[in-house]
Amino acid sequence: MFFNTREGLALALPAAIFALLLFIAPVGILLSEAFQSDEGWTLKGYVDFFAKPLNRTVFLRTLKLGVLVAGTAAVIGYAAAFCIVNLSASARGRVFGLVVLPLMISPVARTYAWIVILGRTGIVNDTIVGLGLSETPIRLLFTETAVFLGLLQLFMPLMIISLVSAMENIPRDVIPAARVLGANWLQVFFKVILPLTKEGLVVGGTLVFTGALTAYITPAILGGSKVLMLETLLYQRVNVANDFVSASVIAMILIVMSFSANLLLKRIATARK
Amino acid sequence: MKMTIPLIAFSGVLATSAFAQDKTLTISVYSFAQDAYKEALYDPFEKICGCELVIETGNSVERMAKIEANANEPVIDMAVISSHDALSLARKDLLAPLDVSRIPNRAKLYPAAQDPIGGNMAVGYTFYASSIVYRTDLVEINSWADLLDDKLAGNVSLPNITGTQGPLTLMMLAKAAGNDSTDYSSVISSIGERADDIVTFYSRSSELAQLMNQEEVIAAPVGRFAWSRFKSSPLPFAWAEPAEGQAGGMNVMIMTKGNGNEELAYQFMDYWLSTEVQTRVAEALIDSPANTEVMLSDEVADNLTYGAELINSLSILDPAEIINSREAWVEQWNTEVIK
Repeated sequence: MFFNTREGLALALPAAIFALLLFIAPVGILLSEAFQSDEGWTLKGYVDFFAKPLNRTVFLRTLKLGVLVAGTAAVIGYAAAFCIVNLSASARGRVFGLVVLPLMISPVARTYAWIVILGRTGIVNDTIVGLGLSETPIRLLFTETAVFLGLLQLFMPLMIISLVSAMENIPRDVIPAARVLGANWLQVFFKVILPLTKEGLVVGGTLVFTGALTAYITPAILGGSKVLMLETLLYQRVNVANDFVSASVIAMILIVMSFSANLLLKRIATARK
Repeated sequence: MKMTIPLIAFSGVLATSAFAQDKTLTISVYSFAQDAYKEALYDPFEKICGCELVIETGNSVERMAKIEANANEPVIDMAVISSHDALSLARKDLLAPLDVSRIPNRAKLYPAAQDPIGGNMAVGYTFYASSIVYRTDLVEINSWADLLDDKLAGNVSLPNITGTQGPLTLMMLAKAAGNDSTDYSSVISSIGERADDIVTFYSRSSELAQLMNQEEVIAAPVGRFAWSRFKSSPLPFAWAEPAEGQAGGMNVMIMTKGNGNEELAYQFMDYWLSTEVQTRVAEALIDSPANTEVMLSDEVADNLTYGAELINSLSILDPAEIINSREAWVEQWNTEVIK
């Protein structure tokens, strides 16, 4: 593309310097604190972090909700994406627009909507009490269920978008061909659709999982201090305890979890070839 | 922490160098009600001193970190902060004792505000009461013990231990259980046993006001400074006067050690404590006065923590107790309450 690599490098230099000075270096400095103590380099921060039962609970809860949200989003996302790609071109555009629409609304507004829906005087509790299923409203806010629903709604569009674009690349006749050759719908899904859309699943899965791990507003509003997640714990460590070491440890754990999820999904995807 | 302190220090240098002029005073304050403070305090002071005020805001942790990071060359001249945070800075040798002869208006303060952490390391400028806000149509509150009673199960919120209100609630729950010592471990355990009955542990009074206005919570302890948020609600909220009395807290002014700008800082402190400014700040419903000479209308007083009788009746938690025990409280709280 370029006459020589030097020109290419020169063009990339400003962006590289920008990223290095204003992103990589400060993040590196912050994260390196998680490996430092008075005696030098150490893993003590991690040992101390995982020695506390609360921290272990919060870590496992974050991992669990991340997996649950990504898994549920994949199941619902495949069904939704399959419907969308089979619509007529004009209907597809409209439905796709509806899927993307929530992404244009602030996560704060979307999360507050759940407070109205899940609250004691919200739609869900009104229905439960109205149908006589319970005499008093049940507690939905500040539970793991609330955080799960909030995160699922927040990140589902990313999964659907990834899967729709993957499915659009499936040749139109492979599914009818598989059916004609006697495959049932389950076989069609696992032997045809899934292998042909795995890149979309890897992208969607990574986006949803890392999104669910690192979202702050939703767990803070819907979970509060009773359903701490790693990111709400991180905020607490910095803003309440001024404990930058624990905060750096948590940040490092979140980064490792995000990269691991991506690598794992890619590994699963290539293994199916 | 090694690298963070230089980073914070660097940000401090950036923030202040832009204002480097002959006569400036850099103050560090809570971030709320800055427009009202500007009108009642900052603008009039700038006219009197012919100087420029540089206002730094943020939460207590950030502001304290900044004072600590710049200890050798303070960028903050004076700060306002809670009494226990002031004591923790004093113990780190970051504060200068106040020369009270340069703050004549200090003599007009309630005795409790004149030397709240000892050694003249701070001077109080506002008090607040802390009690229980509740829905009069749904429940009756006569004691702090009602917070953990069956009648409030599933409808009560408590302040998180990490905030200022948390320890005050522990103190009052202990009093209600007949425990006048400062060992709150049994109180934390009893909160732990009822953790499922508590809707959430709130961190900010604005968060609580929202929960109560949405009818998620019908009773919770809160500082009087947040009362106006409840008073204006269409729901029937009342301020409890429990049998054990109300808890209280105080915010104080401090002088950083060796800032070289003491003259102006004393002038500003004295001005803030004057009857004129304390009245103006109270009438704007920002802070309750610590100056005994402030006269307020009943309407204004009703929103604040005002009057000798009330202020002298408040149970104030010893700042030293908070600093010495906080870590143990948080540890037990995380094990037994949050789980």
